[in-house]
Amino acid sequence: MVQYSFKKITVVPNGKDFIDIILSRTQRQTPTVVHKGYAISRLRQFYMRKVKYTQQNFHEKLTAIIDEFPRLDDIHPFYGDLLHVLYNKDHYKLALGQINTARNLISKIAKDYVKLLKYGDSLYRCKSLKVAALGRMCTVIKRIGPSLAYLEQIRQHMARLPSIDPNTRTILICGYPNVGKSSFMNKITRADVDVQPYAFTTKSLFVGHTDYKYLRYQVIDTPGILDRPFEDRNIIEMCSITALAHLRAAVLFFLDISGSCGYSIAQQAALFHSIKSLFMNKPLIIVCNKTDLQPLDRLSEEDMKLVMEMKAEAIKTVMGQGGEPSNEEGVLLTMSTLTQDGVIAVKNAACERLLNQRVELKMKSKKINDCLNRFHVAIPKPRDQKERPPCIPQAVLEAKAKQAAEQEKRKTEKDLEDENGGAGVYSSNLRKNYILANNEWKEDILPEILDGHNVYDFIDPDILLRLEELEREEGLRQAEEEDTEFEMDGNELSPEEQEALAAIRKKKSLLIQQHRIKKSTAESRPTVPRKFDKYREFTTERMGRQLSNMGLDPSMAINRVRSRSRGRKRERSFDRGDDGGEAMDMDVDRPNKMLRVRSRSLSMSRSRSRSRPPSEVVPGEGFKDSAQKVKAHKLAKKSVKKRNKDARRGEADRVIPTLKPKHLFSGKRSIGKTQRR
Amino acid sequence: MRLEKCWFCSSTIYPGHGIQFVRNDAKIFRFCRSKCHKNFKMKRNPRKVKWTKAYRRLHGKDMTQDSTFEFERKRNRPERYDRNIAENTLKAIKKIDKIRSDRAYDHIKNRLKTGKIQRQKQARKQLEQDIHLVKAPLALAQDSSLHLPKITVNVSQTWTEENQPMEE
Repeated sequence: MVQYSFKKITVVPNGKDFIDIILSRTQRQTPTVVHKGYAISRLRQFYMRKVKYTQQNFHEKLTAIIDEFPRLDDIHPFYGDLLHVLYNKDHYKLALGQINTARNLISKIAKDYVKLLKYGDSLYRCKSLKVAALGRMCTVIKRIGPSLAYLEQIRQHMARLPSIDPNTRTILICGYPNVGKSSFMNKITRADVDVQPYAFTTKSLFVGHTDYKYLRYQVIDTPGILDRPFEDRNIIEMCSITALAHLRAAVLFFLDISGSCGYSIAQQAALFHSIKSLFMNKPLIIVCNKTDLQPLDRLSEEDMKLVMEMKAEAIKTVMGQGGEPSNEEGVLLTMSTLTQDGVIAVKNAACERLLNQRVELKMKSKKINDCLNRFHVAIPKPRDQKERPPCIPQAVLEAKAKQAAEQEKRKTEKDLEDENGGAGVYSSNLRKNYILANNEWKEDILPEILDGHNVYDFIDPDILLRLEELEREEGLRQAEEEDTEFEMDGNELSPEEQEALAAIRKKKSLLIQQHRIKKSTAESRPTVPRKFDKYREFTTERMGRQLSNMGLDPSMAINRVRSRSRGRKRERSFDRGDDGGEAMDMDVDRPNKMLRVRSRSLSMSRSRSRSRPPSEVVPGEGFKDSAQKVKAHKLAKKSVKKRNKDARRGEADRVIPTLKPKHLFSGKRSIGKTQRR
Repeated sequence: MRLEKCWFCSSTIYPGHGIQFVRNDAKIFRFCRSKCHKNFKMKRNPRKVKWTKAYRRLHGKDMTQDSTFEFERKRNRPERYDRNIAENTLKAIKKIDKIRSDRAYDHIKNRLKTGKIQRQKQARKQLEQDIHLVKAPLALAQDSSLHLPKITVNVSQTWTEENQPMEE
């Protein structure tokens, strides 16, 4: 509530900081990059935005300041006066006014420069306009710098003002300095006010709270007042005067009858009389303090007279309120804060007087009618003298009695646990209270999991029935399956057929493989006519084997082959048998010559792989005759002999072309370490 | 303790295995092993990943609808214990399991039947067409049974002359 707490006002920055804040915010929150190549409307917009943004921020912040500081006319007059006393109303208003004008000025500046920016025709011009606008705004703020500082000081001080509620029950303590007001305050509330032997220890108002009859009372401790003309009073005294003037409170005027404060009773009485106008309509109690030093009875005559005068005045105020005049004791009280003698009595008296006064006022005001409507206690009028106590049926009483007895007799689980060894040793059998159809089942263990299924998912009272149904179904289904299978079985192949099929597939795959080999190496292989087969593959034996595998009788074919091509084969074999080095081309007339020899080496024509002598010329090699071949062989051997003797590396020796290939010795390792890549 | 199903591959998750992931909308995803978990994190759809049960069921590879599945239903309300029911249930589980697996097997067999028939037909055709690779037409004419020929031919023995030294 603004009324009695000024703690929530935002900090007022000083001029320089203010400018810094706003300008840095403008720089951060608006776009910063602009080039002179942009469209002119874009440039203008860019700078206008900056000017506007700055103006808006200033406006916001200044408005916040103006709104948050309290307006002295709008708040409770006590606070208004207090603030006036402390800070001087005029200065305060002036400062706020200056802030206001600054705000308006900045708005005007912004408006003007935006208007100018609308017609800026180059980046440079727009930029200068913006610089000028911001510069002027900042100058305005610089000029109001002192006002801002002043407002900041005020704010700090206001935040520390005690939160006094002007409308609640209040007790005000006043009197000369050093009479014991603060000590009293310390005694009845939890406030911890400084108590020192020198005057003006308390320099401002202090608030404490105390309770009486379940109600909370504010107790306000004021600085001491001296007896001076009104105009001469300083700020501190003015605080207490303000409090006295505006707060509707019970006033405790403190009197030091021992004189140890340094002021005589006469002076104090004089003060009393000078400010008694402030005590109008307030319950007044005169408290004589420090009775341990000087009891009231042993006062001198004059002092006693003065005191009585004051008392009379006080009684007059009581009369003025229309209170009971008989309550004389409630007007002049004695106490000693040192011995705590009578302190409580004073407090109670003050609170009582205040409460009574407030209640009276409330009763007289219009609002009471609203309250009275809410209070009504209905008491039925007794019809006759018959006693009618509350009625409790007998059954309920019996049940209650029984329950009470049971509570004592029943053995709890905790008792059981304690008997059997305590918490760690005994674990209670949770199953014993189960409600089952048959009590023997209480300790049954049912597995939760069976064969990868949750047993609880299967539990069903009529599972047997369903199972029977299922099995019936299954029987039917299986019968059907068998029928269909039976039909299907006819089409399978017999084992011999399967064998034949396997052989077919194997043969086929072999053919394909061979074809692939042949196909791929056609370019690298020398094309030698097949009739000169080097490896003696195509022999009659082979043919015979193949034919017999196919199921034919090969003997006829073999005989025919022998009879036909015997000459060639035999000539070759004859040559082989005798000597190599014959001419390779087969003359047709040769076979006639060699017919004689045929019979001998008939058998030799059987195709059988033999190792050839080194001088024999094989058709694919490219030699003219065996002599050439032998010479070539010799030359080759000779060329290599020397090197071999020197144990030098030859063609057949392993050679590593690059000892350190780059890809194995450089680069990062994807896996492993550099030691072993 | 409950056996759960893996969200990705639908296999059972035994206690102590796998990972559970709870999403911000409080949906729980359970995985049987890190393979499924990693696949899930890669946002793969189990219905498109061949080896999962979801795929197989969706594409008709495995049995989807059967009365044996009705027996296994998650019950949220516990039933009062009854020994007889418990006994019967335990026995029934085994039988139901057997029936279910039989049916699943038959399902797959039926599915593969068409392929089998086709392959048999192809084999027969190949046998008929390519029998010439292993059996000469002459032999076929004599014995038209599509079996491998059983003739063993004696090649005349004159090997003694050959046993001479090769080098002459």
